[in-house]
Amino acid sequence: MDEFQEILQDFLIESFELVEKLDEDLVELENSPEDLELLNGIFRVAHTVKGASSFLNFDVLTHLTHHMEDVLNKARHGELIITPDIMDVILESIDLMKALLTTIRDTSADGGIDVAACVVKLDKISGGDGEVNTPVAAAAAPVEDVTPVVEETEDDLDYDNMSPDDLEAEIERLLQERQTEDKAKREAKIAAGESVVSLEPDEPVAELEPEPTPEPVVTTPVPVTPTPPPVVKTQAPKEDAKAAAPAKKAATVEQTIRVDVKRLDHLMNLIGELVLAKNRLIKINDDVEERYEGEEFLEELNQVVSIVSLVTTDLQIAVMKTRMLPIGKVFNKFPRMIRDLTRELNKKMELKISGEETELDKSIVEEVGDPLVHIIRNSCDHGIEIPEVRAAAGKDETGTIKLKAYNEGNQIVIQIDDDGKGLDAEMLKAKSVEKGLITLSEADAMSDKEAFSLIFKPGFSTAATVTNVSGRGVGMDVVKTNIEKVNGIIDIESEVGVGTSMKLKIPLTLAIIQALLVGVQEEHYAIPLASVLETVRISKDEIYTVEGRSVMRLREEVLSLVHIGDIFEVERILDSNEHAYVVVLGLGTSKLGLIVDTLVGQEEIVIKSLGDYLKGIEGVAGATIRGDGGVTLIVDVIALMDIAKNVKSTVMVESTSNAQLTLEKSKASDYCIMIVDDSKTDRTIMRKALEPLGITLVEAADGQEALNILKAGDYNFDAMLVDIEMPRMDGYTLATEIKKYNRYKNLPLIAVTSRTGKSDRMRGVESGMVEYITKPYSADYLSSVVQRNVNFKAEFL
Amino acid sequence: MSDKLKQIINKQGQQQDNDSLSHSDDVVQLVGFIIGEEEYAIPILAIQEIIKPFPWTRVPQVPKYVVGVFNMRGAVIPLIDLRLKFGLPALKQGDETRFIVMRHGDDIAGFVIDRLTMAIRIKKTDIGPAPDTINGDDTMIDGVGKQEDRIITILKVDKLLERDF
Repeated sequence: MDEFQEILQDFLIESFELVEKLDEDLVELENSPEDLELLNGIFRVAHTVKGASSFLNFDVLTHLTHHMEDVLNKARHGELIITPDIMDVILESIDLMKALLTTIRDTSADGGIDVAACVVKLDKISGGDGEVNTPVAAAAAPVEDVTPVVEETEDDLDYDNMSPDDLEAEIERLLQERQTEDKAKREAKIAAGESVVSLEPDEPVAELEPEPTPEPVVTTPVPVTPTPPPVVKTQAPKEDAKAAAPAKKAATVEQTIRVDVKRLDHLMNLIGELVLAKNRLIKINDDVEERYEGEEFLEELNQVVSIVSLVTTDLQIAVMKTRMLPIGKVFNKFPRMIRDLTRELNKKMELKISGEETELDKSIVEEVGDPLVHIIRNSCDHGIEIPEVRAAAGKDETGTIKLKAYNEGNQIVIQIDDDGKGLDAEMLKAKSVEKGLITLSEADAMSDKEAFSLIFKPGFSTAATVTNVSGRGVGMDVVKTNIEKVNGIIDIESEVGVGTSMKLKIPLTLAIIQALLVGVQEEHYAIPLASVLETVRISKDEIYTVEGRSVMRLREEVLSLVHIGDIFEVERILDSNEHAYVVVLGLGTSKLGLIVDTLVGQEEIVIKSLGDYLKGIEGVAGATIRGDGGVTLIVDVIALMDIAKNVKSTVMVESTSNAQLTLEKSKASDYCIMIVDDSKTDRTIMRKALEPLGITLVEAADGQEALNILKAGDYNFDAMLVDIEMPRMDGYTLATEIKKYNRYKNLPLIAVTSRTGKSDRMRGVESGMVEYITKPYSADYLSSVVQRNVNFKAEFL
Repeated sequence: MSDKLKQIINKQGQQQDNDSLSHSDDVVQLVGFIIGEEEYAIPILAIQEIIKPFPWTRVPQVPKYVVGVFNMRGAVIPLIDLRLKFGLPALKQGDETRFIVMRHGDDIAGFVIDRLTMAIRIKKTDIGPAPDTINGDDTMIDGVGKQEDRIITILKVDKLLERDF
């Protein structure tokens, strides 16, 4: 049973690949019905599928493909000219074939689809003239070819008694036999010259068959056959179809191996780890550089680090490339679609495709297919006018839709242009208001560009009637959702009467991205750089509040703002600055300003999932590991824009809830004072001076330690005695740091120092010291200064 | 396959048989730890590692007991404070605080505990069911282990790792 499954899998993979190519070939065939090579290619597909399906006992599929084959065979021999009507039937049968294949993939059986009607049509075209036998004979070939293998397994019943080693050897022998056989056949064919391929198609077709079918029967790895349909296509598909036949004789075929996507994913993960390690190495290198400046070994270390980082980057690109697929894979289905739509809508349309060799990550290629279908259908239905109207407007009767893909920096751009009637901003606004999607005042404030983006709103449609093709107001919504899912941006340009141009800008890959790291309070967040349009530094007065929401004016636009801290529930411990940074996020056509405290920098990050336990946290797309080993959350820009709509503005609200936790003091030890001095003696002197008051005293040996004690929040300090001259962090720095915290804004800081210069005093005041005691001092003096500053109640004395 | 290899494999198989005999099925190995006043235990096989506390990153929009995520050799792992999860007041992490990283299938998370006690071997017969007052599938308690002088609550790892928000 396993063996059967394996064969089935291979059959399905191969069939889907073949069918994908088929659509494009068929449309081309309609334009040049005489192209024998094209016909041969198409015939071969039908034939291959038929051969394999009969082997696998899919009777319905065999039945259908058999009749397709009949018609195509006639056409191939010039007994039949392919007219559009015949083509319709052929295309219909191919659709059925696809449906059958899908059913087989899902259920392993080919029931449930009625092919009878189509078969009758096909039969009529081929006109039942006895020639039906030809393909049957051909079909028998693969079965025959397979039989020896089957027989071998059957009649060698004593295989059961063989030891595994012997069995292995036997398989090896049989394989070799087959290979030599194949080789001989191939050579014979080469000897016969390539004319064989086109003139006597039945032969080479029969030749082609045995490769895919027997291959899976032998479960040991089979040496690469000459033309396995490549998974990673490096050629344009069209060339591929043409190359298929002659490739047999040429050794110039690009060597390809089928690789399970899972393996590539694993490889990508490993590279991800490496990138993280590289980031870390760079950071460490920077630290070392700082500490050991000028040392000789530094240069060597530098060299190694840069080589490692260079190679890692190259490796990353190389692995990314293995996951790349040409976008042509998606583009292929459009010629057929346009053709169908042309007939359905009674319009004249032409599709021009370019840049189909542009490569994209596999996972992204899968995501862009649907959006493109919707956009192109939309262009056909709403964009391109009917021929009469076009003629009246002085345009060519045939409308043109251009589908173009190209690279632009770290992004790929897919551009869809049509020369139709264009988008009418006023009309879009009117429709949206009518449907209740926007209000009248919103409509008035909209720029043309914003109006264009209305077409992406769910429920929006300009079509007066719902047609088969569009008008349900769902399609373009899908476009937006899917493109945003891959962090893409949509850009629309349009001119009434001239046409519409839509650009989808999509990042090349999903796993490793460039990110902008921002800081809020003491936390860091990573924002995918692809969604960042710009960053601006603004002062607080530039933020206005409109209807309870914060906005700012950015050049000509009004940008709504949201504070990152409000979205991620960041506690406002540190006092915010007079200035703030606004990261302007752009996604699709919408924009949002995200207020952050600091901009940390740009970094290459590896996206890691938060796992099942934490999945679905709004606004968080995942996490990444930073150079210092810490975890930084990645902002989900799509979700963030949604959340932002419902977040109340607190941008302007200064933390007035400064609930001064000055608990009522009921005894002397409720007062708490920190002594910060690097000299043990000095600390003891201070302690001795203050102990008689009975207040709680905490000591710290330097600024850093003092800050840590404050952060830990175990004590509620009423004042601090700070020495200026200290290792690690001096008194001035400590004071400045402390004043950043809202909670300690009003904490009295008393400098206790031997520095007596005027400038020292000035600096003390600047950094927020309230008193300045110079050493030496009397115990009484110190005590009285402290009492004054903490409002020491006289009754405790 | 060479004979030597077969021999080795056979030997290993035998050894494993012996091992399982000596361990015998009716003894379970647990790791005990303290949260608040109580001693709890989880099966030793559910533990991936026990580590000393290190910095983590806060995650928004989660219950208080999910304190954040941390980096364990390249994997991002959620960190859950069992004190908070069990409704006890938060406590500062001290010298004895540990993170226990537990795994059940693909689910993995780190748990903050007050301190470890010891590895415990306990006979299955000494484990009673959870008290009647807490029953049903919702309980996190797998059973109650009785040792000479104390009672240990054995927790269900799969329940601990289940997301309940």
